[in-house]
Amino acid sequence: MSMHQERSPAADGEVSRFGNLKTLARTAVQKHVRNLSLLIAVVVAVTIVSAERPTYLSYSNFLVVGLQMSFVAIAALGMTALIISGYIDLSIGSMFGLAAVVSAILARDGWPAVLAILAAIALTGAIGFLNGLLVWRISISPIIITLGSLTLIRGVVYLLTHGFAITGVPDSFGGFGQAKPLGVPMPVAIFVILAPVTAFILNRTTIGRYIFAIGGNREASQALGLPVRRLVLATFAVNGLLVGLAATLASSRYVGADPNFGVGMELDVITAVILGGVAFSGGEGGIAGVVLAVLLLGVINSGIISMGIDPFYANVIKGAVLIIAVAVDQLVHEQRERYQRSMAMRDAREEELGLA
Amino acid sequence: MAALDAPRADPVVRCENVTKYFGAVRALRDVSLGLHGGEVACLVGENGAGKSTLVKILTGIHQPDTGKLWIDGQLQNHLTPQRARAAGVEAVFQDLALCNNLDAVANIVLGQEPLRFRLGPLRLVDRRESLAIATRIIDDIGVKLDNLTTPVRRLSGGQRQGVAIARAMVRGHKLLLFDEPTAALSLRQKLSTLDLIRRVAEQRVAVVMITHNLDDIFSIGDRVIVVRLGRVTMDERVPDVTQQDVITHMVGSPDARLA
Repeated sequence: MSMHQERSPAADGEVSRFGNLKTLARTAVQKHVRNLSLLIAVVVAVTIVSAERPTYLSYSNFLVVGLQMSFVAIAALGMTALIISGYIDLSIGSMFGLAAVVSAILARDGWPAVLAILAAIALTGAIGFLNGLLVWRISISPIIITLGSLTLIRGVVYLLTHGFAITGVPDSFGGFGQAKPLGVPMPVAIFVILAPVTAFILNRTTIGRYIFAIGGNREASQALGLPVRRLVLATFAVNGLLVGLAATLASSRYVGADPNFGVGMELDVITAVILGGVAFSGGEGGIAGVVLAVLLLGVINSGIISMGIDPFYANVIKGAVLIIAVAVDQLVHEQRERYQRSMAMRDAREEELGLA
Repeated sequence: MAALDAPRADPVVRCENVTKYFGAVRALRDVSLGLHGGEVACLVGENGAGKSTLVKILTGIHQPDTGKLWIDGQLQNHLTPQRARAAGVEAVFQDLALCNNLDAVANIVLGQEPLRFRLGPLRLVDRRESLAIATRIIDDIGVKLDNLTTPVRRLSGGQRQGVAIARAMVRGHKLLLFDEPTAALSLRQKLSTLDLIRRVAEQRVAVVMITHNLDDIFSIGDRVIVVRLGRVTMDERVPDVTQQDVITHMVGSPDARLA
């Protein structure tokens, strides 16, 4: 490209502005490659399972699988936003246990169901906010700080319950989690509403735009005057609220809670989020991929049981899928870097020839 | 300052007798300048001469100890970075500070997004208008971009510079300061960046460019301001001076020669 061409941008017209078709197509494929492969994986998995068990592919079974995954799925919405912003909260498993146990204890002790549930959700919202405050104030990896919260909160759960399940909760407490609006279990219905809302906020509003910006370059976002601190704290708090919502749906559904509720849940949630194409380093990803990843994990869980395979294989497969997904991602990324370097080298050579 | 006596519009930014101390060190003494829309002023001087201090005062990062500063005729008693930005002063620093994961449009309007509507804290970004703003600015200054919707991470150094300049134009419509904009670029990218800066000035923006490169001054500068030991030692129209004059005023010795 010679200088005089660069000086006359009008000559390039609209084509270069929006990229030629080939570039556009490449960008579109790159953008959606993860979602497409997840979709294919879901279809393949469902096909395999239903070839073996023809009854697997049915609406009622879909709702069963959906219900199993709904708690992880709801928590994954908040975690998606948090990881995109470049942060993480590992303590969600313990927060889940705490909100479940606290709501059950309050309901057992005579609180109206609505208040018991709202109080537990508010509690995890506050804990999320506090985690955010700690992470913001103490500039150490959020992994380490929230690892502390994970252990600490689980300890509180055991102290509250002395290690025993909370029983003797009045049946009225089950009204929330057991409800079936339009025949859809409440946890699934709530996820079906919240997922597009979250996607809308992340993709269309300034809040979402700034969450991506913070994950991409926090210093620059601050220098531009974006409300970085406020947004990070709010994302931590909303993450806590969503975990509390998922937890109280569970405690209400089972009309009681076990102190082991949510143990290891943070790993399921983070697996879904990363498998869904959210970059662990922040700034990349979206809700659609995470929904597909949750679906894939649900099909793997339930499919293995349907096919009568030892359920312990589920973890083996899920772990392998995650490793394959990130490995392929990394290889594609390296390939792209190499391509870009070669293009830059070509430009440099052309420049030497053209201007020497 | 004889060369600047010609009748002309009021300066966009004016400072008078600005002095700045850091402890006992006097970083700037009695600096008086008027910066005009449409003019590229090259700010040169050796390391530690006071160039950065002057830029930081103009952008509100530092406050002068004595002296006065006007932006658009408004006396600024306590200029903060927020106030400077609100007044239309913006700086483009070497590290560019782009969000590599966002596309050019999102980077250009970042923090200034046009809105479709707002509902409490939820403000819906008007993407069509964002594209229109970005396209207009890019057209105005003639940035050459293959693709406005690809993450800027995938753009070349020169294109990223163009995005950073376009973003600064959204905000800095009065005064734009460039901190060594050509330092890290290849020859071709350097030429197109200088072209861009020239076209920014043509949009009636006052431009200040810090540079170490004398060629930059003579290729696009209208005016050269030399700072030495905290003082403005030279402030002339570029056609009226030679490279040798600039060097002499930079190092303070008539014996200095081009290397």
